Amino acid sequence: MVEFRGVAKSFKGVEAVKDVTCEIRDREIFGLLGPNGAGKTTLIMTMATVYHPTRGEVLVDGHSASTEPDKVKALIGISFQDPKYDRILSAREILEWHAKVTGVEKSVREKRIDEVLAKFGLTGEARKRTWTLSGGTKKKIENAKVFVQRPKVAVFDEPTAYLDVPSRLMVWDMIDELRDEGSTVLLATNMMDEADRMSDRVGIMSNGQMVKVGEPDSLKGSLRGRDVIEMKLGVPIPELTGEVSKVEEVKDAQYEGDVLRIVLSNGRELLPHMINVVTAKGGKVLSVNLKEPSLEDVFLYYTGMKLS
Amino acid sequence: MVWVLIERDLRTLVKSPFILINRTVFFLIQLFVFAVLVSKLASSLGFNYFDFYSVGAVVSTITSIAFIIGEDLFEEEEMGLLDYLLSLPFGHSLFVIGRALGGAVRGLIYVTPMMILVAYLDGYFSPLGVAGSLLVTFVLATGISGLSITLAMLIRNVNRFDITIALAELATVRVSAAIYPLEYMPKVLQPVATWSPVTSASDLVRAIFLPGYSAGVYETVVLALFVAVFFGLGSAFLFRKIEGGRFE
Repeated sequence: MVEFRGVAKSFKGVEAVKDVTCEIRDREIFGLLGPNGAGKTTLIMTMATVYHPTRGEVLVDGHSASTEPDKVKALIGISFQDPKYDRILSAREILEWHAKVTGVEKSVREKRIDEVLAKFGLTGEARKRTWTLSGGTKKKIENAKVFVQRPKVAVFDEPTAYLDVPSRLMVWDMIDELRDEGSTVLLATNMMDEADRMSDRVGIMSNGQMVKVGEPDSLKGSLRGRDVIEMKLGVPIPELTGEVSKVEEVKDAQYEGDVLRIVLSNGRELLPHMINVVTAKGGKVLSVNLKEPSLEDVFLYYTGMKLS
Repeated sequence: MVWVLIERDLRTLVKSPFILINRTVFFLIQLFVFAVLVSKLASSLGFNYFDFYSVGAVVSTITSIAFIIGEDLFEEEEMGLLDYLLSLPFGHSLFVIGRALGGAVRGLIYVTPMMILVAYLDGYFSPLGVAGSLLVTFVLATGISGLSITLAMLIRNVNRFDITIALAELATVRVSAAIYPLEYMPKVLQPVATWSPVTSASDLVRAIFLPGYSAGVYETVVLALFVAVFFGLGSAFLFRKIEGGRFE
């Protein structure tokens, strides 16, 4: 559905996106992960034809974003990270105008707006000027634009930021429904639980590059051998890092405060042995935590932010 | 699709009744206090200043309103609204035309009741003539919107833009025959005022409403040239910026 072919985008000589090549498949939810400034939003805006790529090409349903921007824009709907609409207008007016401009047929427009407003619990506030509403409500209205539009390619940039837990769950359900109705979803998020729960595949961006693409489970599997045992000790003993590192499976051991953090393979099997090594050297273990790789670890590993 | 873009300007307009009321009250005070008083002072000259000024007041008002579009562009960029608008399914060129025309239509809606009131006060009752006068002011507003967009694209700082726009508005209205007749202006400014689109628009509307005033080809050509140059320049600058410049 969406193909990025060697896409690069520079601003005043600084490359925000560097030769990104990847594909978002028809009717999948593709999680786009990356730290702030990784290039996620630039990549989205390039796909949406707002920015022109410096190099490369974006194809949406076979149409080039560079040479057929109008056809591409007709397929895309974006829920921006920060709500973008005229705050002097009410939620209903915003949705009416958005539906009209994106070509939602008049016969279904009002019904669909009513449904989405009701789902978000906004019926009572639909006629208030949006600048008077809370941050969470403003975010719901931003998301509502895409749910009213029901585009072929739906883009959500941090869709659950500012939302409470019930609202988050509802947005997730609504995104699932949107996909079930035939939309392809690009979900840019910093929330790993959201990406893990929602995405069929995720792409991890770092420094403008797409450093890894894959299914969440397979990416977590790729870090096999990077289990983490965290032992809280009564008194940290400096020699213990060297002692536990003698075990063949241990890749790294260091203190974080009074917690001895050991990165190793086969953590589950080796846990009793590691406790023995520590206690044999006089260490008093107060608590133990075994962590197997999560999507967060995958993210940190591939963005080089912590584990590497 | 251009209409849908203009509709957005109108939706925001009707949501700002305070600005509408403010402008209307300002206009009424200018008309019924300032113009009435000065008209009495000028009566010894055998000149009906009230009639003269009433038309100029409407033309000045639409000029001021049309200048606002440049500020809107700064605001839209600052709030990130441009990203949203540019991601919507219409071409960038259509967007540019929609913004320029939106500013002009908004101005027209502001001044239509004022124009009808002025026509009534001047004793002019032809709906066709009132429609013609509104067309003249709409054309002027399109050109002023283009000028405002051009300045907004050339000046990157909103504070500098505000100062420049204030000066531009002052120059276009004060150095024109909107508020006072050309022959009473300093000699050095008269040639400039003769070329002013605000003068041309004022004279064209006066020629419709008021007996004894005439305007024709010259004023129409000046107005048309002004619109062609600044609507074209404003559109071209905005288009260029959107396509690969500042809005990124």
